[in-house]
Amino acid sequence: MSEIKALEHATLKVPYEILNKRFRSAQKIIDREVDQVMNVSRQVEKALNGDEAPIMSDVTKLMGNVAQKLQVLKRKAEESINDELSVTQICKRKIEHLKGIMPPNNSTGDLWQGSVDQWKRIRLDRLVIEHLLRMGYYETAEELAGRSDVRHLTNMDIFQTSREVEVDLANHSTTKCVLWCIDNKSKLRKINSTIEFSLRVQEFIELVRQNQRFEAVKHSRRYFPAYEKTQLNEICHVMSLLAYPVDTEMEHCKKYMDPRRWDRLVLDFRQENYRLFQLSSTSVFSAAVQAGLSALKTPHCYTQTCRNLNCPVCQEDLNRIALKLPYSHCVQSRLICRVTGLPLNENNHPMMLPNGQIFGQMAIQDITKDDGTVTCPVTNTKFTKPKIEKVFVM
Amino acid sequence: MDNNEVWACASVEKDLDRVVTKLEQLHENASAEIGDIASLMSELVKVLGKAEQTVTTLNSSTQVGSGSVDDPMDIEHGMHMQVETEPAAPQRLTDRQMEIIREAILKCNERVQKLSTEHRDLHGSISKIGKVIDRNFTADFTSTMRVDALLDDENLMLLNKAIAKHYCRQGMDEVARTLIKECKMTEEHAQDVFDSEREFADIYGIWVKIQKRELDDALRWTMRFSQQLLDRHSLIEFRLHRMRFMQLVSYGLESQHEAIVYARTHFKKFAVRYEHEIANLMASFIYLPGGLENSPYKHFLAQEMWTELSFIFLKDACQLLGISKNSALSVVVNAGCTALPALLNIKQVMQSRQVLGMWNGCDELPIEIDLQPEFRFHSIFACPILRQQTSEDNPPKKLTCGHVISNDALHKLSNGHVLKCPYCPVEQNAEEAVRIYF
Repeated sequence: MSEIKALEHATLKVPYEILNKRFRSAQKIIDREVDQVMNVSRQVEKALNGDEAPIMSDVTKLMGNVAQKLQVLKRKAEESINDELSVTQICKRKIEHLKGIMPPNNSTGDLWQGSVDQWKRIRLDRLVIEHLLRMGYYETAEELAGRSDVRHLTNMDIFQTSREVEVDLANHSTTKCVLWCIDNKSKLRKINSTIEFSLRVQEFIELVRQNQRFEAVKHSRRYFPAYEKTQLNEICHVMSLLAYPVDTEMEHCKKYMDPRRWDRLVLDFRQENYRLFQLSSTSVFSAAVQAGLSALKTPHCYTQTCRNLNCPVCQEDLNRIALKLPYSHCVQSRLICRVTGLPLNENNHPMMLPNGQIFGQMAIQDITKDDGTVTCPVTNTKFTKPKIEKVFVM
Repeated sequence: MDNNEVWACASVEKDLDRVVTKLEQLHENASAEIGDIASLMSELVKVLGKAEQTVTTLNSSTQVGSGSVDDPMDIEHGMHMQVETEPAAPQRLTDRQMEIIREAILKCNERVQKLSTEHRDLHGSISKIGKVIDRNFTADFTSTMRVDALLDDENLMLLNKAIAKHYCRQGMDEVARTLIKECKMTEEHAQDVFDSEREFADIYGIWVKIQKRELDDALRWTMRFSQQLLDRHSLIEFRLHRMRFMQLVSYGLESQHEAIVYARTHFKKFAVRYEHEIANLMASFIYLPGGLENSPYKHFLAQEMWTELSFIFLKDACQLLGISKNSALSVVVNAGCTALPALLNIKQVMQSRQVLGMWNGCDELPIEIDLQPEFRFHSIFACPILRQQTSEDNPPKKLTCGHVISNDALHKLSNGHVLKCPYCPVEQNAEEAVRIYF
């Protein structure tokens, strides 16, 4: 499997879902306008099919309606189809970018490496932006997208909507989230989402909190019956709030009255939004970070003496993140000289100091002084004219 | 990387293109056909209106003429309407007029319905794109992770820090600052971000300048660290001076004096080490009248030389300061992007063979990840006998003959104290093997 196939599903799937959504709304708009046209044209037909010949001015008026509705249909159909076309353009741009991982065949060496590096730099920016958006750091994402000019390659648009909803929820208001639920009703039903129910419950709780208990009952009558099949248990629990004071000590009631339920709603909403666009629950970035840390992690990274300043896992912060992650796996020895950073092989033979430390042949020259004393760079032990032995690694 | 990637993209693109063509066609049809019928309708309305008016004027003037008002009736589709000039008040349509209107309405209904159906027919093509994407790309990569190390807040904050550092390195301080503010990073961490990357950010700035062919900052920097660079046998200072010198020479005869002065001031300290090369450079004056671009020296100022120079600068400067050349984050993420497809692959294999859980009882990745050599930072010794990485419990040992195997293998192979090396004929005492450290 290749990198693109493994990692770029969301890059293409999100614009596809948007295209699909636009298609459905375009269909709805066109159908509605077609219905309008048909309605007025039916009136004309009715007039024509009357017993006596219809009055000219009446028909003229009706025909005028038809012409007008047709114009509306034409305009709206064009607009909707243009909407769909613009999404396909986004999709195409992303495909173009993905294909860039394979630079043109005629480029060689540095140029090839250069363009691959550039591609990877853009990919990193894309992945970081997605991660930032998922963490809710919208400003940073915005800033980065602007600075590195990768906005058209990200899925920022869908996060933009969710940002508005989240801000609204954080201000303890359900309005925008309810609108979002209505907007995506059929899709949410398909993925068995309970987010709308949670919102209705929250609205109920807020009414109870303000001691508007009759309003709360009215609210429950209006919204809860739709969920009685699946959420009956929870409905009962929620309804029991009516019986207790707002500052009740009852465990299950306190749980509902907790203002932090709003924060959970924000997180729930985020998850539902991911599911809606078939985004996985974690970002590619976090998966890549963890897989990358694992691939680079060796027992050496956790020793005092063998750290390498170039190794990311040896750096303090990443070292701590990688603590619980598995080590890299290796069936074939690969040896690197700790002094020069060069691989140990037949050109740079591994040599052993008397204390068992292995360095490359080239490094031995560097650590040997003119008088023949050798200082081990790891343990700082001094040897005078030591016996340095060759070792053989299969 | 293989052609597979391009192929996967191409197949999505093919289906996408199909939809685009259909949409464009539909758009055209909507404009043309609906527009057509709409204008026909308004034309009819106009004609009817006129007919009515004509009749009214005729009536009011009580001048009964020929009775036919031919002129405005001639519109497209060869319609011809007879307007009766009955003086009776409400005008009624004639059979002929009704027929024409009926026809127009019929056509209108037909076309609008066609538009709706044609648009609906697109559904198949559109959902096919989704299917192709699902078939060619993996939606779920989460199963490659055993433990989610990024669940607790502390680790997430450390990751934020790594991101901030990454952008700080590239001189995008604002991005780092916005992130620090937005994720509410502690003062202490934030300070660390800027402190740890300050040095690199300077180097990065100079590196960018070298690529823009500006050498002043780079020269200033290397002169500051001249002695240390010399101790490390770094080429960079001489290379920068050489480039500067060639730049002066390339300006032509008028800067000849300046170039000579430059050589006298700056090449002195390299005289011993680069004697030959300096001689070589000074010979470039011979070609000055003919222009440097027509001389054997032209390659000294080629683009590759600049790229190489900036690369050497970055490498040597980072080494001197003891900081890493690549940002930790980019190394990790790029390694991860190489690792994930491999891990997904092995997961599929394991599932198809019904091996339960790829992580069971093992704190290593299930497979070796093929990283580029430059991303190998530590020695790994895998015992050639047991095919296992060595560890503190099972350390590598050097036999007297020089071959290295793991401690466990040594015990398995030895018979009492006697051990025959698996790679050479030497028989030895197993106790004499020495623990070694890579």
